[in-house]
Amino acid sequence: MISNPLALIAELTHRCPLHCVYCSNPLELAAVTSELSSAEWIGIFQQSGKLGMLHAHFTGGEPLARPDLTELVAGARAAGLYTNLITSGIGLTESRLQGLVDAGLDHIQISFQDSREGAANWIAGAKAHAHKIDLSRLVRRHKIAFTVNLVIHRQNIDHLEEMISFIEKLAPDRMEIAHTQYYGWALKNRAALLPTREQLEKAVETVSAAEKRLAGQIRIDFVVPDYYARFPKACMGGWGRRLMLINPSGKVLPCHAAEVIPGLTFENVRQQTLESIWLNSESFQRFRGEEWMPEPCRSCDRRTEDFGGCRCQALLLAGDATATDPACSLAPAHHIVESALAEANSSATISQPVSASSFVHLQQSVSELWSYRTNPE
Amino acid sequence: MAPPEDSSQPRLAAGCRWGGDPKPGVEERMVLFPEGAIKLQGTGRQILERCDGQRTFAEIIQELQAQFTVADPAKIRADITQFLEQLRQKRIVDY
Repeated sequence: MISNPLALIAELTHRCPLHCVYCSNPLELAAVTSELSSAEWIGIFQQSGKLGMLHAHFTGGEPLARPDLTELVAGARAAGLYTNLITSGIGLTESRLQGLVDAGLDHIQISFQDSREGAANWIAGAKAHAHKIDLSRLVRRHKIAFTVNLVIHRQNIDHLEEMISFIEKLAPDRMEIAHTQYYGWALKNRAALLPTREQLEKAVETVSAAEKRLAGQIRIDFVVPDYYARFPKACMGGWGRRLMLINPSGKVLPCHAAEVIPGLTFENVRQQTLESIWLNSESFQRFRGEEWMPEPCRSCDRRTEDFGGCRCQALLLAGDATATDPACSLAPAHHIVESALAEANSSATISQPVSASSFVHLQQSVSELWSYRTNPE
Repeated sequence: MAPPEDSSQPRLAAGCRWGGDPKPGVEERMVLFPEGAIKLQGTGRQILERCDGQRTFAEIIQELQAQFTVADPAKIRADITQFLEQLRQKRIVDY
């Protein structure tokens, strides 16, 4: 029997004032004119509540780019869902925040790109850093949960300790220190983002010291780059097992990146109910359970823990969505990850840490370093 | 991390809340928090339902000691302390 989904990821729009070089949005962004209406989203939340989902995660793009966000939060709360806003904060004012809290917003997560303004704005391709700091102070005046998300990578990992102290001052309940995951724009920019083994080991120590120091005050969730792990991550808690993602134009996906997998067709919530998609969609069933698994997954004890890893990563790296995730040390295609690591750990590649003083210089010298995320038409 | 003091008033942390009202005949209740939820029943539920920001830690212990008279009162105190410490670490409870 298929259990019910637990959370909805509502990608409200692909519009975004930031242009982060590691954005998890697909390279092909959903057009503005195709976005779901307020009434369509509210209908989706009602269906989600009835299906037994617990959480609605509002994301994008930048969810605040939707003028009806407050109405959508109220709609999700009315459907019994826990509401989480994942945002850059751009577009949030004092009165809009008050409106969101009044509408029943439970949790806000603001992402930071760095502790140093120049570097943060360089990564985001926008002047956003100072505003985010102001906004964090506003958020703390409300009784909602507050998470600061910090994305780390080769260019900023060397001053992780400084970044943790910076976040501490913002006084969140939770700090998410997440390595970039190599999909979408981040895969395109991987060479400039993948840290060295030495950098990573130092980061692990820094985080564990901070965890001890901040216990009971700020909870730290740490996401390591799976390229360095022995076993793959349990991507999305297993394909079609817990989560449903709805993209801005109503396409229902098992995960953010699923559209990269050729041969899968995705239903649209404009044409079918969420329940029927969850139960019957070919794409949701494609990698659900264990039937699809190749060796070594099929006979591996860890198959019920990591579900064979990430299907999209298997496609992106090994060219085969049914392969064992190449991040797994037991995977036949693990050599692909190993060669990316070898490259990252050779001195030949760029690894100048960004500092405020070298920011301008770096911007000029490495303008070829990466591609900024664009915006949809 | 320090255990709760007798005079502290434990409560659900910011952004953590019960998922719906108690239903008669249903043993399980859910607490929702960012990125997750826990199912509570039995003594866990009894403890957390008393973490209302009004009752003191000492009062919560007394109430549960009065309810579970067969158990060792010192053990009840130790169990509640440990339970609340764990939930504080996860940022589900504050005290």
